[in-house]
Amino acid sequence: MSTTTSTAPAVGRDDLARLAEHWAEPRSLRSWFTTVDHKRIGRRYLVTAAFFFVLAGLSALVMRTQLARPESGVVSPQEYNQLFTMHGTAMIFLFATPMLFGFGNFLVPLMIGSRDMAFPRLNAFGYWVFLFAGLFMWASLPFGAAPNNGWFAYAPLNQVQHNPGLHMDVYALGLLFLGISTTSGAINFIVTALKLRAPGMSLNRVPLFVWAIVATAFMVIFALPALNADNAMLFFDRRFGTHFFDPSGGGNVLLWQHLFWIFGHPDVYIIVLPALGIVSAVLPAFTRRGVVAYSLIVLSIVAIAIISFGVWVHHMFATGLPQLSYSFFSAASTVITIPSGIQIFAWLATMLLGRLVSRVPLLFVIGFIVTFVLGGFTGAMFALTAFDQQVTDSYFVVAHFHYVLIGGAVFPMLAGIYYWLPKITGRMYHEGLGRWAFWLAFTGMHVTFFPMHLTGLFGMPRRVYTYRSEPGWDGWNLVSTVGSYLLALGLLLVLVGVVHAVRRGRPAPADPWEGDSLEWSTASPPEPYNFPVIPRVRSLHPTWDARTAESTTTGATADRVLSDGRRTLFTSELDARTERAVAMPEPSYKPLVLAGALLVFFTAMLLAAYPIAVVAVLVVAATIAAWLWPPRRPDEELGVAS
Amino acid sequence: MTTGPGPHTRLAGGLLLWYGVLGGAVAWAAHLLVAWPLDELTCAAGRERVAAVPLWLAVWLAVVIPGLVTVGSLLVATLVWRRTARASSAGAEDRAVDRSRMLAVVGVWANLLFLTIIVLGGVAVLVFPPCQG
Amino acid sequence: MTDRGGVVAAATGVAALTTEEPVGRPTGWWGMVLFVATEATLFACLLGSYFYLRFQFGPQWPPGGVDKPKLLIPLLMTAVLVPSSLPVIWAEHGIRRGRRGRLRAGLAATLVLGLGFLALLAVEYAENLKHFTMTTDVYGSLFYLITGFHGLHVLVGLTMIGWLLAASLRGGSFGSHRHERVRNAAIYWHFVDTVWVAILFTIYLSPRL
Repeated sequence: MSTTTSTAPAVGRDDLARLAEHWAEPRSLRSWFTTVDHKRIGRRYLVTAAFFFVLAGLSALVMRTQLARPESGVVSPQEYNQLFTMHGTAMIFLFATPMLFGFGNFLVPLMIGSRDMAFPRLNAFGYWVFLFAGLFMWASLPFGAAPNNGWFAYAPLNQVQHNPGLHMDVYALGLLFLGISTTSGAINFIVTALKLRAPGMSLNRVPLFVWAIVATAFMVIFALPALNADNAMLFFDRRFGTHFFDPSGGGNVLLWQHLFWIFGHPDVYIIVLPALGIVSAVLPAFTRRGVVAYSLIVLSIVAIAIISFGVWVHHMFATGLPQLSYSFFSAASTVITIPSGIQIFAWLATMLLGRLVSRVPLLFVIGFIVTFVLGGFTGAMFALTAFDQQVTDSYFVVAHFHYVLIGGAVFPMLAGIYYWLPKITGRMYHEGLGRWAFWLAFTGMHVTFFPMHLTGLFGMPRRVYTYRSEPGWDGWNLVSTVGSYLLALGLLLVLVGVVHAVRRGRPAPADPWEGDSLEWSTASPPEPYNFPVIPRVRSLHPTWDARTAESTTTGATADRVLSDGRRTLFTSELDARTERAVAMPEPSYKPLVLAGALLVFFTAMLLAAYPIAVVAVLVVAATIAAWLWPPRRPDEELGVAS
Repeated sequence: MTTGPGPHTRLAGGLLLWYGVLGGAVAWAAHLLVAWPLDELTCAAGRERVAAVPLWLAVWLAVVIPGLVTVGSLLVATLVWRRTARASSAGAEDRAVDRSRMLAVVGVWANLLFLTIIVLGGVAVLVFPPCQG
Repeated sequence: MTDRGGVVAAATGVAALTTEEPVGRPTGWWGMVLFVATEATLFACLLGSYFYLRFQFGPQWPPGGVDKPKLLIPLLMTAVLVPSSLPVIWAEHGIRRGRRGRLRAGLAATLVLGLGFLALLAVEYAENLKHFTMTTDVYGSLFYLITGFHGLHVLVGLTMIGWLLAASLRGGSFGSHRHERVRNAAIYWHFVDTVWVAILFTIYLSPRL
């Protein structure tokens, strides 16, 4: 057990009562709709993203069932197109990023010693938009109008003359809608990490997970506009007859691809970087030491975030551009492997130098390293243009990115779920059930996707709804299908484990793993105000550090208790010197109303009900105006001269 | 340190630190945003010259100038690293020094990475004719 | 510290190199700056698409017998929009010293100039629509999308300015201690102005190069 507990003796009983009064939200329906608590919002992100994961996973199971045997007829080609598109789109946009944002929402304020995010109501708004955008996209599937063009929606197939119906309108509008949530979340993370760190947490003491989330957020800021511009042009092409991607009107289909991959390659790291951050956060507890080479891991996070913007053309080595222009991107694609390698070796060194504690989160971390390195290996093969042109659009590519994304994102997320479940729910999970889940998911993953390398090299193209028996692909496809059921069973056991913990798990202590970062200094689950005393951070591993612990007990001062109101501390950007205490906003319906008005707007645009869309825009403007309207204050407080 | 430098000098020092940390990244971004469209668009238009300058020379300049900026950034990062090393070995726990030192380490390695990318791109300019498809 | 060597030595000393910069900005300022950064990237993507499509299209631009864009109205628009940042700056400096009258006058002046810009944009559209529309070809698509998207941003900026003006007329809103909203709206307005200069160069001047 660490030296800190949630109810520090130095904080008076009346201080705690006042904090509870100012921060607690009653368990009512009203509070369910108005909450701005980052922990509740974070939990909702996790649950909602998991729900979309289940939908996308079931789509994959239907596809694997269809492909188990040659020329089977479980689904029609049209249905198959919608299934693989929704599977990819949902996994990337509705599961991976929101799931990691959920971890970030729950953990970033706890890890940096703050009482909430910088913009709590914007945070609530971001969640509602994510939920509505996800439902908006999935709702198209029962109508047979789901996107059907692959998750990267290449032109010219995405144009209305080749792909009539609402399919790609749902795609363009849904992603524009979701982009509002992702952008607002990213801005919130950056500002939170810059201004709300506990005093003393200078940049060299920021947890690696927070570095990863902030780097990811910066990538969102600069990458997402490319996707938004692309989708806006796509919608105009389809609906209003413009010619951006239409060669007959002077447009260019490659413009879609360029803009998509300017977003798309950074997006791979937008998904993987926070997951790597989870690994860096989980390892210290199970190796009993800090991750080695902190500065180099920070370097690696920053360098990956920047270089990933300069590699997008490697998705397009098969499109016939000048060799010299390829080489600029080849150079960046090759060098970006160095920072990734630095992280892997730093983790291996940490495990080598530390004392391993073999629990489920560590198993998933090891599973991650094995799988991710294999995925990285096939990734490096693509950097050779000649090889890339040979296997492009085959199952080899499918195998590669599932190794990277399941290995690099899903396994760390699962490690994170088991690791932080005691903190999130206040309950311990069942260790044996967790081990079964790991081995089934790990085995299932490799049995599903390893054979796809082979079917790809044997020439099986991706995205075909069926195949004939002659090329000899049947056996390996059957193996893949069996593997996918194993994987699904393993993931089902994860779900069972979570439900079991919530219902039957034994109560978790504040710090079951003896972790190093500040979230383990709070109660399990944390109080609504997180910290009775905002700590004064003295080192990179504050919960292992007696002097930091002392600052919340015998060394507690009133300027860090702040019990007279709903308040937290602003500190300076780089060195976290105390600036001032600030009041945080109360719960509000406005985020929900704003998100609802946007849902009406995007639905009206989809169904071409433009007058309703105009009304919705007016509601959006009015809500924002009311949201930010300055409260009336006396002139002396404002400081008015005349 | 009793008086310390004035506000302008402090501002210059603070900005210099960021040049040491991010100079290479910005230079590389500029290199990519100039060299790539210059090559691809000029070739697509069927030309081998940009105004009066031959295309290979224009691309070459878009490699060399960012390369030099990166070298400068690397030198600044090294300078910060050495200065803060001396300050922290002199004792006195000061987290501003430790923070700058960490940023300097990040800067040194980041600039080496970006220099590598720019140099590799420069080698390609020597090898390929600019418009070979 | 008068000689240059002394200045360089001081700026590369430990005390200067460990200066905290940026420092002391409020959360709202950071939020607005990051929002402007992502919006600026969006415009960069649109303008980049313009040049990409233009150079991929071939030597004749604009295509299909459309004349090169006329410069009189857009230069007038520039003359109206770019100086409209000055009253905002003046108003912001005023409210920092607690002068509400300057805040109101400055915001009102900007509002008038911004509306003037939108009126000129309407005239420009009315003129151009006689020759080509959004569906004529990719040139028309780019022209109307980019200028229309910017016009939308001017409208949003004007809504902010009008909203600030309404709040300041009510009284009890802004003073020398409370002017964060004015500052943030000003940042957005300067951004809208700056983007216009880039659009002027791209849409109106670059076809003449």
